[in-house]
Amino acid sequence: MKIHRFRNFRLIALLFGTILVTSCSKDDDVPEEENELEVITDVTLVFTNTADANDVVEATAQDPDGIGIQELVILNEIDLDAGKTYTLTFEIFNNLETPGEDIGDEILEEANEHQFFFGFSDNAFTNPAGNGNIDTASDPISYNDKDENGNPVGLSTTWTTAVTALSGGTFTVRLKHQPDVKTSTSGANDGETDFNLLFSLNIQ
Amino acid sequence: MKHQFILSLFLFIWSNSVMTQEKYCPYSVTGKVLDIVTKEPIANVTIKIQDTEKFTLTDKVGNFLIDDLCSNNNTLIISCLGYSGSTSHHHHENSSLPHLYLTQKVTGLDEVTVQAQKIKEKGTETISQVTLGKNEITGDATQSLAAALSGLQGVTFTSAGTNIQLPVIHGLSGNRILVLNNGLKHGFQNWGTDHAPEIDITSANSITVIKGASSVRFGPEALGGVIIVESNSLRLNTPLYINLGTGFQTNGGGINTNLEIVKGSNKWGYFLNGNFNKIGDRKAPDYSLTNTGKEEKSFSFGVLRHLKNWDFKIYYSFVDQNLALLRSSIAHSGDAFVRALNSDAPIIIDPFSYDIDAPNQTIQHHLAKAEINWYSNKGKLSLRGGMQLNKRDEFDVRRNSKKPIIDLDLITYDYQLEWRHPNWSRLDGLFGIQYFSQDNDNNPGTDTTPFIPNYNISRYSAFGTERLKFGKNTVEAGVRIDFEFDDVRGRKANQNIFRDDYSFANLTASFGYSRQLSENTSFRTNLGTAWRTPNMAELFSFGQHGFKTTFGLLRFTDNNGVLSTDDILPLDKSVVEPEKGYKFINEFKTYRNGNFHNLTVYSHYIENYIFDRPIGVFGTIRGPTPAFIFDQANALFLGADYSWQKELDKNISGILGFSYLWSKNIIENVPLINQPPISTSLEIQWDLGKVWGFKTSKWIIRYSYTFRQLRAPRTVLPQSLIDGSKIITIDSEIFDFMNAPRDYFLLNLSWNFKWKNLSGSIAAQNLLNSRYRDYLNEMRYFADDLGRNLLFTLNYSFKGKNNK
Repeated sequence: MKIHRFRNFRLIALLFGTILVTSCSKDDDVPEEENELEVITDVTLVFTNTADANDVVEATAQDPDGIGIQELVILNEIDLDAGKTYTLTFEIFNNLETPGEDIGDEILEEANEHQFFFGFSDNAFTNPAGNGNIDTASDPISYNDKDENGNPVGLSTTWTTAVTALSGGTFTVRLKHQPDVKTSTSGANDGETDFNLLFSLNIQ
Repeated sequence: MKHQFILSLFLFIWSNSVMTQEKYCPYSVTGKVLDIVTKEPIANVTIKIQDTEKFTLTDKVGNFLIDDLCSNNNTLIISCLGYSGSTSHHHHENSSLPHLYLTQKVTGLDEVTVQAQKIKEKGTETISQVTLGKNEITGDATQSLAAALSGLQGVTFTSAGTNIQLPVIHGLSGNRILVLNNGLKHGFQNWGTDHAPEIDITSANSITVIKGASSVRFGPEALGGVIIVESNSLRLNTPLYINLGTGFQTNGGGINTNLEIVKGSNKWGYFLNGNFNKIGDRKAPDYSLTNTGKEEKSFSFGVLRHLKNWDFKIYYSFVDQNLALLRSSIAHSGDAFVRALNSDAPIIIDPFSYDIDAPNQTIQHHLAKAEINWYSNKGKLSLRGGMQLNKRDEFDVRRNSKKPIIDLDLITYDYQLEWRHPNWSRLDGLFGIQYFSQDNDNNPGTDTTPFIPNYNISRYSAFGTERLKFGKNTVEAGVRIDFEFDDVRGRKANQNIFRDDYSFANLTASFGYSRQLSENTSFRTNLGTAWRTPNMAELFSFGQHGFKTTFGLLRFTDNNGVLSTDDILPLDKSVVEPEKGYKFINEFKTYRNGNFHNLTVYSHYIENYIFDRPIGVFGTIRGPTPAFIFDQANALFLGADYSWQKELDKNISGILGFSYLWSKNIIENVPLINQPPISTSLEIQWDLGKVWGFKTSKWIIRYSYTFRQLRAPRTVLPQSLIDGSKIITIDSEIFDFMNAPRDYFLLNLSWNFKWKNLSGSIAAQNLLNSRYRDYLNEMRYFADDLGRNLLFTLNYSFKGKNNK
């Protein structure tokens, strides 16, 4: 009988010992800070007159809370002068972090996975002509940069405005992320959209 | 000291004798009733033939004889009053079969099958419930727990595709349903429609669904009901049993294989179980559903050590899943969402493959349990301790693709002490205390603000339930109190830390009455209340996951119509209240002249019912994105489940089923979203018995018809939100992005057989290859449900001759 009882306790100890030892430890861990790679809050289009570096036109789109519920705001219309040539560059930031993080650098690093596509009112520009390459990827856009595979990126592009005035036109810029997808023929509907912004365009 | 223990046990006696004449009464049945453990005969056991006046008592050596029977197909009702001394009653604990032995000597009859009526769990006797046995569960070894239960009236499932299905009882799902995995609350990420309990059904021996709101014994928060999954029971005195099962299915090219080994001696019992499933891309009638495969591995074992007055049990199970979600369900922008919604076929259709790519989820779930039972004349004492580790990674289609967007480890501890007291005059009861804790941690490296914060939950509980039987009446009452303490740490979108801590006291109470109206008719009624603390996802969800953005109750503020998700309200300062459910449920069962009717009628009022719903399409830098928020309202649910089983012929029976649910947000007087539509089914079973050398052979044909959900919220198309033609504010009436799908018919057919040591089935699901979408499947926005599937299963079982 004594042996029996001893066995019972040994069994109890064995069964519960392991579980009890590991439990009841209250912790106060906070999730570690994450580097929000996918969040872009501010995109500024910078049109610089190739003939005059001080002639700069900017237009900004802002999503103040990233994935939060607040609406995207287009802060400016794009007002360009007729018959001039501009270089378009971008300032792309995640300003949820302080200091804001420059996403443009990241796009440059991953240039062979990214491409900018553009769409605009018909014949708003003499160069490139047409309505841009969002609808048809082979349509002309004057890309100034290429990735290591020789495909266009679009962090810098050249635009010559038409001589005729335009009011209330549109200018769309779409950044696509195309890992293992980007080729010389990939288009604006391939891969994932990083941003897709619609601005009003005026030329006078 | 005088125990009363009643076992009802039905004995079905089948024969292939063709000589069945009405006035010819040549049949008799004799037998011997023995205790399976002691092999001692049991005297004074009542044996009664159902639907007749014939009955007898066993003699001193356990023998009985009933003759002049007019039918070769009789149901015996065996009841043994007073058979339950303190030394023997625990022998009935471990199995769904009562250990009453019957040595049969049946004249003119051929085969005896003993089926036991499952003893109802303590504290739930007056609540409507159904139990599925092993055969019903393993007809399709690759199906989910929820799918296995969905044939029951009042039970259906909500899903995020075929791989992820969550049970719904009377319109309620998620953590309103307590899933008990071998006596422990299954500790998993129980939120959203894309997290299903990680339970391998092939390891289950029985699954019981309790449809009441008041699981006093099992835990708080179970407003919807309880699902009790019991593993292969650990049995004493069981000869070695080995079952090897394998299956193939055409839709998805799925394969399955499972193994089970069970053995029990007079001191030890053990089982071992393993299962492997692999399924590739499924097919809808018209196209392949790209990225819908799954891979599942599971393993479990249990050991029982039996000593005089003591039982010791240990149990361990491991489930590893890799579940794909439909590729086309990821629409990163509103435009893509509109395109996906308007397209008849999914946007992305690739050739068939077994590959599982993003979006997918991988889960590993470990469960370890130890249990001690002690039997004495002071009652039965049970101590259970359990530990669970749930590791979950979820992958979305992302720019920095390979990293998980959700990476969580959840550790659950559960300790329960229960005392079942000896009868006090006529009171039979159970008291218990419980400590339950959970620790949830985000693993770093997701490159996104955590969707769910880190948290710790500690809960201290006590309960008691008593039952009083007098004559044909049973009265049952129970109460449970839970004190819960929650400590939360998370990150805002700007990566600043937020903290919250709060506590809740939850009450669960149940009062029920049941009456055996006549030998064949019973009635039970139960009034219960259960309270539920809002879960972490309902409070703190934040961000984009899958095709949508979701915000928890505390994650957004409404400043005169201007919504903001920048700040997080502390719970104490918010208007969030716990859910309080009050459910009244009645069940009426009757069996007469080959007709078995079961009617369950219920009403359920839930104060502060929490649900998620679309709030609009919000502009982001990527384009407009559909957004969902959590909301609270008072809700009313009224419903009925009905089934009618009729024996049309000696070998043919039909079952007609009907489930109806009406629900409403009674504050705003609008329908609730994602509630199960009305459904009906008709099943015909044709038992051919022994033909063509088969031991058994049975055909089952099942027709089901699901109505369109007419009580769905209005539809507001996302394109009208994007182009601004419809403006939605926080106060606008509830809506959905798409109309509820139309009604549909499904036809399933199966043939089951036994031949020597082999058993198997050939089944066709959606035989007519009907196109349909299910209202409770989140993938209904993007693609049709599954087309025709042919399933082939084969089981080989080996039974040892004795238990040595």
